[in-house]
Amino acid sequence: MKILVVDDTEAVLLLISRFVEALGHMAVIARDGAEAVQVWRQERPDLVLMDMMMPVLSGPEAAMAIKNEAGESWVPVVFVTGVGEENRLAEAIERGGDDYINKPVNFRVLEAKLKAFDRTLELNRKVREQSSKLADYYDRAEEEKRVVRHLMEQMVNAERLYDPLLEYWLTPAESLSGDLIAAARTPGQSLYILLADGIGHGLTAALNVLPLTQPFYSMTEKGYSISDILTEMNNKVRQVLPVGRFVAVVLIAIDEVNGWVDVWNGGMPGVQLVGIDGQSQHVWKSAHLPLGIVPTEAMDVIPERHYFSAPGTVIAYSDGLIEARNPLGEPFGIQRLMDVVATYPPAERMALVKRRLTEHLDNVPHHDDISLVMAHCGLPQRALPIHSAPSAADPMRFQELAESRWRYSLNLGAQQLQHINTVPFMMNFINKVIGPGESQSDVFLILTELFVNALDHGVLGLDSSLKREPEGIEQYLTERARRLAMLQQGHVEIDLTGMWLDGQDYLRIIVKDSGHGFDWPGWLTNDLSTAGGLSGRGIALIRALCDMLQYRGTGNEVHAYYRVRSKKP
Amino acid sequence: MTPTVEIEGDVGRVILSGQFDFSAHREFRQVCETLIANPSVKEVLVDFQNVNYLDSSALGMLLLLKEKIGVANKSLALVNCRDTVKQVLEIACFGKIFTIR
Repeated sequence: MKILVVDDTEAVLLLISRFVEALGHMAVIARDGAEAVQVWRQERPDLVLMDMMMPVLSGPEAAMAIKNEAGESWVPVVFVTGVGEENRLAEAIERGGDDYINKPVNFRVLEAKLKAFDRTLELNRKVREQSSKLADYYDRAEEEKRVVRHLMEQMVNAERLYDPLLEYWLTPAESLSGDLIAAARTPGQSLYILLADGIGHGLTAALNVLPLTQPFYSMTEKGYSISDILTEMNNKVRQVLPVGRFVAVVLIAIDEVNGWVDVWNGGMPGVQLVGIDGQSQHVWKSAHLPLGIVPTEAMDVIPERHYFSAPGTVIAYSDGLIEARNPLGEPFGIQRLMDVVATYPPAERMALVKRRLTEHLDNVPHHDDISLVMAHCGLPQRALPIHSAPSAADPMRFQELAESRWRYSLNLGAQQLQHINTVPFMMNFINKVIGPGESQSDVFLILTELFVNALDHGVLGLDSSLKREPEGIEQYLTERARRLAMLQQGHVEIDLTGMWLDGQDYLRIIVKDSGHGFDWPGWLTNDLSTAGGLSGRGIALIRALCDMLQYRGTGNEVHAYYRVRSKKP
Repeated sequence: MTPTVEIEGDVGRVILSGQFDFSAHREFRQVCETLIANPSVKEVLVDFQNVNYLDSSALGMLLLLKEKIGVANKSLALVNCRDTVKQVLEIACFGKIFTIR
């Protein structure tokens, strides 16, 4: 240690400093309080051994000055006191002195005290080192959080979450949320909703859910099915996250046109469908492992479909909501949630759940992220744009007068039908050709319906009457998957042509399949308002969207003419 | 929470108690590692008899354990799950990848 020895008596000063040096320390000296402060400034000793009564500045006064300047770092001051100084000594120690030793100095005691201070100083140094490290870690963690929060905000993109049919609420337990809500529309205007809950909360949980947003948005906008999106998300999560990390996920697809809701629930609380009266109509329980646990090949990515017959609301939430505990440790529970839902009309439910939860928590912070989604479905639809057929819609005129501008055709065999997501694949091209606008979604719907009909009924020979009963749909989908997996032969031809007639852009879509066709004249008389049950809406929908729809031969070839309603970019 | 270990023949039992969450992660890992390193233990049982709550990070710890047990060629089962624990395991569909008794 470097020790500052202060005394106005030369003999004592010499004696003590020699002794200190003999113990292997280094001594610096001063002869009064003022000099002591000065020497301390220059030499920065580790410890001060100081007389009490000195000229110019007394020991206690000098000690206070030194302590003031030393600030955060600790400089022990030990007073060397003579008899009769007890009162001032007590005061000095109260005001910051660390210890004292009596005059005449007992060197055995002084040696022991110096050793003790050496130990304490070492400890003190370590603590200071660690606390500065800790402060560094804290600053770095805060900066990292700031960056991730920004990233999350960018990727989650609250603007996209705006949808007239969607209400949501997300409140993180810490500054970062491990829950994620995302929503987007497919080109066919189905509403896709993603609710994810990464394990834990804070930074690591937020990082867990980040890989999900990109496949969700980009694939939804291209019109992929939620099974395709799940496959991609599981691959991403497996690629990015270490073992022991996973993400519970609910994916919801609401198709207003066909009147169904698809839900895939992996590790989240049950998703509810409730009616306007708030009564539960269907529950999708967790039926799958969360994402990131098993390889994608081992996963069942087929969602469970439910047809709705009246307006309703799909309600999904993370376990943070029902597990939020009040000061007595009682969880919020499903019952409280369902009571609010059953008591109030749809538009007021979200606000009331929030209020009930605030009351329940009674100022106790919730320990997990809370998220809640309410998506309304089955409300009166915007009327489909039904075109008044223009004079151009005459097959003969098209064949004779229309000018063909481009053509894109595709012939898919059994193997391609099994593995290619044909419609999203073609939409990439269509979007480039017809430009942005509502036509994209019309064309997506037409292509989807025509392709699904050609594949399901034509190539696979499935009977759509199976779909009429709600219980039949599962059977239908299972049978479809089985036949598709076994498919050895058969093909679907798709031919897209851009046409120009009377100053209008048209798109002709021809779909041919290797099937036997069907009794098409009967189907064509259906229209959207009379198409009953759960099948037969497809053709009625295409007829509503197209200027002209023709079946040829036995019905395994169909020609659709669609008038493009957007300007080319 | 301090897990305790009982070894009977070639079965090692990790008995957990109270809340099984992230705060238990160091002790849980240490206890499991000793069992995995013990050559006479062929089967590891995680006993939930005295656990009243488990959260998602506990599920993560179980996944990690499963991975390590697999590497060591031993078997693993989750036993004596009470209702609350069972519910969490059910929602996560852990029955698909764990033996639960």
